[in-house]
Amino acid sequence: MLETSLTPKTISSASYQSGQDPILETRALCKSFGAVQAVRSVDWSVRRGEVCALLGDNGAGKSTLIKLVSGALVPSSGEILVRGERARITGPADALKLGIAPVYQDLALVESRNVVQNMFLGGELTHGPFGWFLDHARMTREAQRVLAEMRSRIPSAQEVVRKLSGGQRQAVAIARTLIRGGEIIIMDEPTAALGVEQTAEVLSLIRTLRTQGRTVILITHNISHVFEVADQISVMFRGQMVGTRRIAQTTHEEVVSMIVGARRDALSEA
Amino acid sequence: MSYERFSDVQTVSNRSPVQPFNTRIVDFFLENGLYVSTAALFIVFAVLIPSFSSLESIVNILSSAALKGIIAAGFTIALIAGLIDASVVGVAVVTTVLTGALFQGLGWSLPATLAAVAGAALLMALLNFVLVARVRINSFVATTATSGLFLAVGLAITGGQTITITRPELQSVLLNRPLGIPIAVWVLLIVYVAAYVMLTQTRLGAHLYAIGANPTAARVTGVPVGRATLIAFVLCALGTALGTVFATARAGSTLLFGTAFSTFDLSEIFTAVLLGGSSLYGGSGKIERNLVAVLFLTILAFGLQLLGAKTGVWLVLKGSAFVTAILLDVIRQRRQ
Repeated sequence: MLETSLTPKTISSASYQSGQDPILETRALCKSFGAVQAVRSVDWSVRRGEVCALLGDNGAGKSTLIKLVSGALVPSSGEILVRGERARITGPADALKLGIAPVYQDLALVESRNVVQNMFLGGELTHGPFGWFLDHARMTREAQRVLAEMRSRIPSAQEVVRKLSGGQRQAVAIARTLIRGGEIIIMDEPTAALGVEQTAEVLSLIRTLRTQGRTVILITHNISHVFEVADQISVMFRGQMVGTRRIAQTTHEEVVSMIVGARRDALSEA
Repeated sequence: MSYERFSDVQTVSNRSPVQPFNTRIVDFFLENGLYVSTAALFIVFAVLIPSFSSLESIVNILSSAALKGIIAAGFTIALIAGLIDASVVGVAVVTTVLTGALFQGLGWSLPATLAAVAGAALLMALLNFVLVARVRINSFVATTATSGLFLAVGLAITGGQTITITRPELQSVLLNRPLGIPIAVWVLLIVYVAAYVMLTQTRLGAHLYAIGANPTAARVTGVPVGRATLIAFVLCALGTALGTVFATARAGSTLLFGTAFSTFDLSEIFTAVLLGGSSLYGGSGKIERNLVAVLFLTILAFGLQLLGAKTGVWLVLKGSAFVTAILLDVIRQRRQ
């Protein structure tokens, strides 16, 4: 069972029931770079405790949308609501305070350091006079606990990241966001560079996160992965949100047609 | 095809449990070769030279290792953060010249002289930091340039003359021997213990390793990269100044760095640091090994001198050690 200590500390009240209220919403969100409108008036909502897939062709605006939500970019106009309240996100630190934690595409791991050191990089726990000294014991315990709860198959928390597989590295990167109080975990193409077995490992991790009540936003090109783990699918095209479907009420074919069909419509307009 | 079936498959480790014999030998030497060769070298000289293993001789080796040892400690800290600080020679020149000019020439007190030397080291570190972290010039290129500048400033101050230090306080204080061991050796040990604790037990240490290995990862995870870089340059410059002050006191005059007669040159620091297992690629290194590597070089120099070997022999061996050290670094990197 899930330990209470791992429940996200950012949940303020019991009013958010899984699968009901949106934990994250955007309203008429826009971002332009000069004359290029990368994100055009996007209305989007992600429900708490669900896995929400974000699909679209290259350049559809998925990554820009994610960057706006996680504080890497500042919107040109529009609103972001977190847990029903309007959020001011001006940088990654603001987003993290709200529990929005991106897992970086390149994972941002230091290969020569071990799992614990990577999980606590930049947020090390200290003790002793003036908090000068690293609390190795506590960091190791915390790391082991989080990894165990993620049911990760990392052999040891002292293992150097260089020796880990792609899937295990994903686990370390995700564990880092959890340790920092991440509640809405954003994963950008987490399986892009992985083999079959490691992909399965990552998909299994996503399910574990979901059963622990966390929200996962999954950006991917792989539609079959989406059908394996997602509750909701949102499709973007040329900066606009084309549509959002519940996974139970859509089909592979419909999702493909939303991505491809949208393109055909746009071409016929031109 | 469901993903659960895959997750039941046991992960196959890419490392076979039994490594080939020659791999284990190479591993053993990469891990312990330094300790073995240092001990062997000492034993060889102790057999050849009767007085070599006497307490006095060992104290002598340690105190002459202090200069390079203290400089190498700061150099390693910077190198772990991925910074190659070639300006140590320039900093040493400015330090020895300032010590001579202020203490002997202008008659400043010892504390005032030391404060001025430390201040100068801070300024030089700051210039390195600005060029590397703000202007974003490669650290080796930037510090090679600043080293030349510092050296020129040092020479300009004295007009290239050596200043003999006749006032006694410098030597009476700095060459004191509490418990029979010279202050320089105490300082050397304290510097290494402090550096060891800093690198392994503090956030700064963790950050320096991360910055050296993957600066991008360090930045996105919220490591204060700029501050840690500044501290690394400052520690390297202060270490160099500290070592140089002791060497100046020991010599009783300002030292001719950056010339054929230097007490140390950059290649020796590189040799010691690389033999000690730190990498030119940053992000790795164990400071305690540095101390052993410095002792190895010092024992070699001492033994050869006592055996009456020509300077050429020492220079050739020193050069070979440098090449070996670089090769070892490359081998270590390729094996990972």
